[in-house]
Amino acid sequence: MTFDGGVRAALGDVQLRGALRQATTLFGDRRRTALVSIPDWEATRERARAIKDETLLHLDRYLEQFTANAERAGAQVHWARDGGDACELIGRIAEQHGARTVVKSKSMATEEIHLNAALARRGIEPIETDLGEYIIQLAGETPSHIVVPAIHKTKAQIAALFADKLGIEPSDDAAALTAAARRALRRRFAEADVGISGVNFAVAETGTILILENEGNARLTTSLPRTHIALMGIEKVIPQFADLEVFLQLLPRSGTGQVLTAYQSLLTGVKRRPEDEGPEELHIVLLDNGRSRMLAAPVTRQSLACIRCGACLNACPVYRQIGGHAYGSVYPGPIGAILTPQLIGIERSAHLPYASSLCGACRDVCPVKIDIPAVLLHLRAQVIEQHAGKSRRLERVAFRCYTAVMARPRLYEWTMRVARALHIMPPLRAWTKWRDLRPLAPRSFREEWRAGLSKAGPSLARVPRARSG
Amino acid sequence: MTPPRVEKAKQGTGSVDAARDQILRSIRENLARSARDAVTHAPSDHAPPKPRVPSPEPLDAVERFTSQLEAVGAHWTLVRGEVEAARALRRILSDAGAKRVAGSDAPLVARVLPGRLTGLSRDELFTCDAGVTTAQWGIAETGTLVLESARERSRLASLVPPIHIALLSTNRICASLGDALARVDVTSHAITLITGPSRTSDIELTLVVGVHGPQTVHVLLLEEE
Repeated sequence: MTFDGGVRAALGDVQLRGALRQATTLFGDRRRTALVSIPDWEATRERARAIKDETLLHLDRYLEQFTANAERAGAQVHWARDGGDACELIGRIAEQHGARTVVKSKSMATEEIHLNAALARRGIEPIETDLGEYIIQLAGETPSHIVVPAIHKTKAQIAALFADKLGIEPSDDAAALTAAARRALRRRFAEADVGISGVNFAVAETGTILILENEGNARLTTSLPRTHIALMGIEKVIPQFADLEVFLQLLPRSGTGQVLTAYQSLLTGVKRRPEDEGPEELHIVLLDNGRSRMLAAPVTRQSLACIRCGACLNACPVYRQIGGHAYGSVYPGPIGAILTPQLIGIERSAHLPYASSLCGACRDVCPVKIDIPAVLLHLRAQVIEQHAGKSRRLERVAFRCYTAVMARPRLYEWTMRVARALHIMPPLRAWTKWRDLRPLAPRSFREEWRAGLSKAGPSLARVPRARSG
Repeated sequence: MTPPRVEKAKQGTGSVDAARDQILRSIRENLARSARDAVTHAPSDHAPPKPRVPSPEPLDAVERFTSQLEAVGAHWTLVRGEVEAARALRRILSDAGAKRVAGSDAPLVARVLPGRLTGLSRDELFTCDAGVTTAQWGIAETGTLVLESARERSRLASLVPPIHIALLSTNRICASLGDALARVDVTSHAITLITGPSRTSDIELTLVVGVHGPQTVHVLLLEEE
């Protein structure tokens, strides 16, 4: 579906828009309330951004330091240039352990590389265990929000889905539906040999990975199976253990308006003694997939500071109306509009830099102060320079004509006279489809002036008021 | 702040090393490209991190901790000494109708609950009604429990059964998250921070507790006798 088609479908979906309004408003309000509990929010944002900037400017060294420390603690670190590499690595590790099923906790990076499809091709069944992800996996859909993936589904739809797939009695009680998912997934956890998770932060100083969550499925995924595979973008590394304080203050508050999510798992290597709890093997897959390219300029580099909180989605007047699916990309909303073109190439996502009104609400709420509108403008310039969008020939001709007319006063006057006489509106169908242009006045200012306006003073009564509509 | 270059580890197959080299080279080349225009665009890039904002010292850490526990939906009981702790624990378990109780390997847990089950298999653990562990730290600011794997086998007992009861000494309560992070034993292969019961709002934003982890978290705060 085209972007315009997706937008039209979303705007026509009353239920979806109600759900979006409720969710984005709720998270926005909770976020504002949660900020108050930090003594100096602005200073904390500045500090977080400074840490990210420092890391990104020396990313090669921090990654090597992280790798060395993680390996010292018993983890095995793998490097993946792109999604294909990462799927191959993860699929091979799962196969080597004879896994028929793998349990997964929520990870946008695994969505980015389409890991589930790659595992399925190897005959390995991936099971999403985050409730929201589980719902959309059962429904065969994709996440519409990076924090609440099934935001677009109603309780009734979920009840019907569970009745069909899990064989439970239909219920309109969210607690009963949740309990049904818990029972079904417990069986999966009990038999899984491999758990796959994402990573929120990776500490170079200690080789630690940190995973935040509320449900406990990430804890189960990373402690029950004998093998844990963690996929992380190379930008997730931070220098020091103490830096976690800053990010743990920012991420939950920005994402769900919580002071802290229910669980943080800080994992450093594997268990030390056989009688310890936890996996015997920890594989950490470092994913580039276009990220290193973003380091080449400060304007694009800041995209890598993102901590995936989703605050920009909730604040965005465009996302709030159309939701995640209309963007047609794994990462939706303002952050998706800047990440996707840089990850998959602008020629395949030329519509995204325009999916914004440039109002700046995303920049205002971003906990790491990413200037998203600046990146959008940079990407729009790229679209034009690379002719990545629709054909721009007409646009170029139009601007050439405009330049010619505006540079010649006589030609300008003549053109306007003709246009007024014939009631010709500029051909701006895309614009006027949703908006009204004001009609042209019967006489131009220049004509009024020549007819004596200059001597008589302004007699605006003679100029008919433009009617709207 | 910048770490020294690390000696390249010799490990894995040739192609794995090739991916590593290629990614690191790409990072260095792109950074080198950006260094030329970094001056005009990003003066703050090299700014040292701001000094830490000191967290306000609470008048009474225990009071702050317990009010935060309530705010996140956890229960708590203040007890004096182990005898009282054992009595409170038995009452909590019997009120909840918990029969099979998994315990961690902490000596304190063994003393206050001699009948606990330990060394359970995955399947056995799934049939337990409650799990009892200690916590190494509490965080007053957030109502958080900190569990360290280096000190105790508490990862699963605190997670799998529907009720988690944690014993915490009142003198182990830190004022803030930063204080706790500075004190935790980083030699632990797993450090778990727990703030209230397991929760989700994935179905129409309705809050449901106890989705994958415990529905009930009960903290037994242990004061010195």
